Amino acid sequence: MFSKLISRNSRRNRKENGLFFSSLLISIIAFYIILSLSHQDVMLFLRQMESNAVNKLMTLIPVFYCLTLFILFFLIYYASKFQLERRRHEFGVYLMLGMHRIKLFAMLLAEDFFNSILALAIGLPAAVLLSELISLVTARLVGIGIIGHQTSFSVQAALWTAIGFILIKFLAFLILSGKISRQEIGTLLVDTPEGLKKQLPPFFYGVSILIGSLCLAMAYHLAISGESWAGVRQMGLTVLLGLMGTFLFFWGLRFPLGFFVDAGKKTRQLKVFNFRQMQETVIHRSGTLAVCSLLILAALCCFGAGVAVFRFYGESAPHVLDYTFRDNANGNDPETIMLTLAEHQLDTRFSDLFEVKTGYIHTAERPDHPFRMESVMAALRKLPPSRDKDILLNNLEYEDYPHLITLSGYNRLLAAAGMPALDLASDEAAVYMDTTFTNYSRTKMLNSVLETRPEILLAQESFYLTGTVQTLNLVTDRSITLLFALIVPDEVFDHYTQGHFTVYFNGILSENATQNTSLMAAFSDMNRKLDDAGLSYESYLQNMSRQLFYMVSSSYVTIYLAIIFLIIANTVIGVQFLMSQQKASRRYRTLIRLGAAHPALCRSSRKQINWYFGIPTVFALCNSLFGVRALFTGILPLDTQSNLSEMMSVSAAMILALCVIEYTYIAAVKRSSDRYLLTLMMPEREE
Amino acid sequence: MEPILQIESLKKYYGKTKNQTKALNGITFQVMPGEFLGIMGSSGSGKSTLLNCIATVIRPDGGNITMNGRQVQSLKGTALADYRGKEIGYLFQNFELLDNLTGRENIMLPLSLHGVPEAESGKRLDKLASYLEVKDVLPKFPAQMSGGQRQRIAAARALILNPSLILADEPTGALDSKNAKALMEKLAGLNQDEKATILMVTHDSNAASYCRRILFIQDGVIFHELRRNIPDETQQEFYTRILKATAQLGGGSANVL
Repeated sequence: MFSKLISRNSRRNRKENGLFFSSLLISIIAFYIILSLSHQDVMLFLRQMESNAVNKLMTLIPVFYCLTLFILFFLIYYASKFQLERRRHEFGVYLMLGMHRIKLFAMLLAEDFFNSILALAIGLPAAVLLSELISLVTARLVGIGIIGHQTSFSVQAALWTAIGFILIKFLAFLILSGKISRQEIGTLLVDTPEGLKKQLPPFFYGVSILIGSLCLAMAYHLAISGESWAGVRQMGLTVLLGLMGTFLFFWGLRFPLGFFVDAGKKTRQLKVFNFRQMQETVIHRSGTLAVCSLLILAALCCFGAGVAVFRFYGESAPHVLDYTFRDNANGNDPETIMLTLAEHQLDTRFSDLFEVKTGYIHTAERPDHPFRMESVMAALRKLPPSRDKDILLNNLEYEDYPHLITLSGYNRLLAAAGMPALDLASDEAAVYMDTTFTNYSRTKMLNSVLETRPEILLAQESFYLTGTVQTLNLVTDRSITLLFALIVPDEVFDHYTQGHFTVYFNGILSENATQNTSLMAAFSDMNRKLDDAGLSYESYLQNMSRQLFYMVSSSYVTIYLAIIFLIIANTVIGVQFLMSQQKASRRYRTLIRLGAAHPALCRSSRKQINWYFGIPTVFALCNSLFGVRALFTGILPLDTQSNLSEMMSVSAAMILALCVIEYTYIAAVKRSSDRYLLTLMMPEREE
Repeated sequence: MEPILQIESLKKYYGKTKNQTKALNGITFQVMPGEFLGIMGSSGSGKSTLLNCIATVIRPDGGNITMNGRQVQSLKGTALADYRGKEIGYLFQNFELLDNLTGRENIMLPLSLHGVPEAESGKRLDKLASYLEVKDVLPKFPAQMSGGQRQRIAAARALILNPSLILADEPTGALDSKNAKALMEKLAGLNQDEKATILMVTHDSNAASYCRRILFIQDGVIFHELRRNIPDETQQEFYTRILKATAQLGGGSANVL
């Protein structure tokens, strides 16, 4: 009999409370996906290329797992709370009939266990499927056709998923059933709305909103100006201000809501009732609303920032060179490289092969400061003060021993990039800086100085700087960069370096080598052939995979967190609304007796749902505009901040997409509320 | 004069054929404009079922309910909602005030439900509030009011749309004797001065003595009827007659069956 009751109850729970059951499934899927990350195709591929970075990310997975555990606990807690609250009356009846509390506890535990096992039975296969799908889609998106797809199923991940899920489920259950069992039968049997709380004069709430807004404004100012990112203490202060601001704002929100009750036309159906209901929730649940709003904000920021970072790494630094062959190290000079390539019939697969030489000034009489550019520094100092100017001055101050680059080699590079060649006289030089060390505004500053054709001293001989700042990568390896170098005519280069220089032999794959296949596949194929030929080289593939790693890991993690945050916030809001609606069932019954029809009640509760979801969401949306901006200041490399407006628009699009998700959630809660109101109408009729 | 409410052989049965309870077994009566009609009976006599049928909370199995010439059972949708809100005013035993609305907002609730402009009823609210002596509790929430004040607010809510008929379901049931007396005096006053038509279901002979006519129901049929002889009969004398009738009916405290 007892077991029959248990199985019937758990079946009814699943049927009646889809919201609860789907939240269980979501948490299982979330656990599994983060845990099986290391089995994803992209990660397996990247592990071959960037094992260091990938391993670092993998060591972070337990942290993410614990974080997910912590966050999903709240989801399970609220969903279970709703589940138990709606059965209060039933528990009261069991106890009235003489069921021992311990037996009630055992019954609930058994029901819970039954449902958990079922959720795992459905959730785990779904999670495996979804993770497989993500694996395939990402692999396809980044164009890894070269390695065969491997199934991402991981027994370990499945095991940990089950453990984590059962753990938080049990913990939530213990807390909730403890709360329920302590209540008197009488309170279990009746649904009572929470009633009134002691109210302070409106002045306090108004001030609270004001102080809250000020705190938020300060927090965002600190974050956007970059001050917060200077240290732990500043960041702590910013976070504290942000949290305080949000909580104060929501605490004070009852003031404007109270104002809404009195203001405007009251003829709209049930307007006063709606606002009083809203006010009650805001008064009783301002803390929860604030937390939900913060979660939505976190989701929006994660999403916005993740997508922007993805875009940034996807499009950074123009890609010109495909291969750089090393010289001296193995004793092979460009001629031998060319011969080896020709021997293996690989030279035809390159559309261009050329050398770029770089070297230090090596003249016989070597002074302490072979290079001086006082006129440039003086001109820079005259520019209006800015952070970029300080950085530029600081960087250039120590440049007294620069690299030299051959003009011929650099011009080949320019030609390959489809840019006009540089033309230098024998007493002219061009400035080279790597993109890593400059940005739009610094380059602009230096260009304005270069326009004046400033005079410099190179080993005590006068030279004139001309043209604009050059930034094309000299070699494929992005970890080889030059902060500052001078491009000089070849004879000047030969004169100053005295034969002490490094040759980088660069190659660009021809179009027919990359045709009919993805770039990744073309590189992998070429690498294999070059390995066979015994050449040592650096290919763009490494850079690409490094880039890919950043793209995949940052977007994966941020989007994952964003979805988790969003689901939790929405579930909590939805469940809270439905719970308070149930507690106010008596009010709805009174309205029905006063002649309210079902459509009128639905309209009223729909309005309340709009407000209930709308307040935290709109608050989070407004904040996210600043929040995403602040994150960009903190996490994006300096040189991308010039195209910040473009990044912001990307994020705005994402935020819009999230609004759509929010809308779907609201629609689901509305349907659930409509159904509940219908049950209030029906039984009275059939009495 | 046309009756406001006409009940013709009203039937309501609960349960299956074998084990049927006939809560209403063909009741017929009329309520005339300006009447204060009481319905008395023991528990399970069918008086609440009768009230619920009139209030369209439950659907009768047979017979007719006609309010101002319209058949109530055939009403649907907006017409039904309008009937509940405008034609009848309902006074509940446990007040059924919305605890998160102030007194004023509770009284205004029917206006908001039925889309009546507030300005029109503002004057009526003032008049009702001062008559029912609840003016100073209008801005308070129900939790801050006494039981009597709550019921008087509920009365004002039932009256605000000037309904043709006020249905009162044991209105003194949750009140102490002092507050019960005050409420009944106000209801009787409304009946005399405003010509409000009231149909009250009660257990309480004291409250019933404010009525002009009383129908006694037992086992779903009208069993007896008492009329107060105005102005010859005092309320006290009428009360004694009610007590006698209840004693005979076996529903009151003096069960002599």
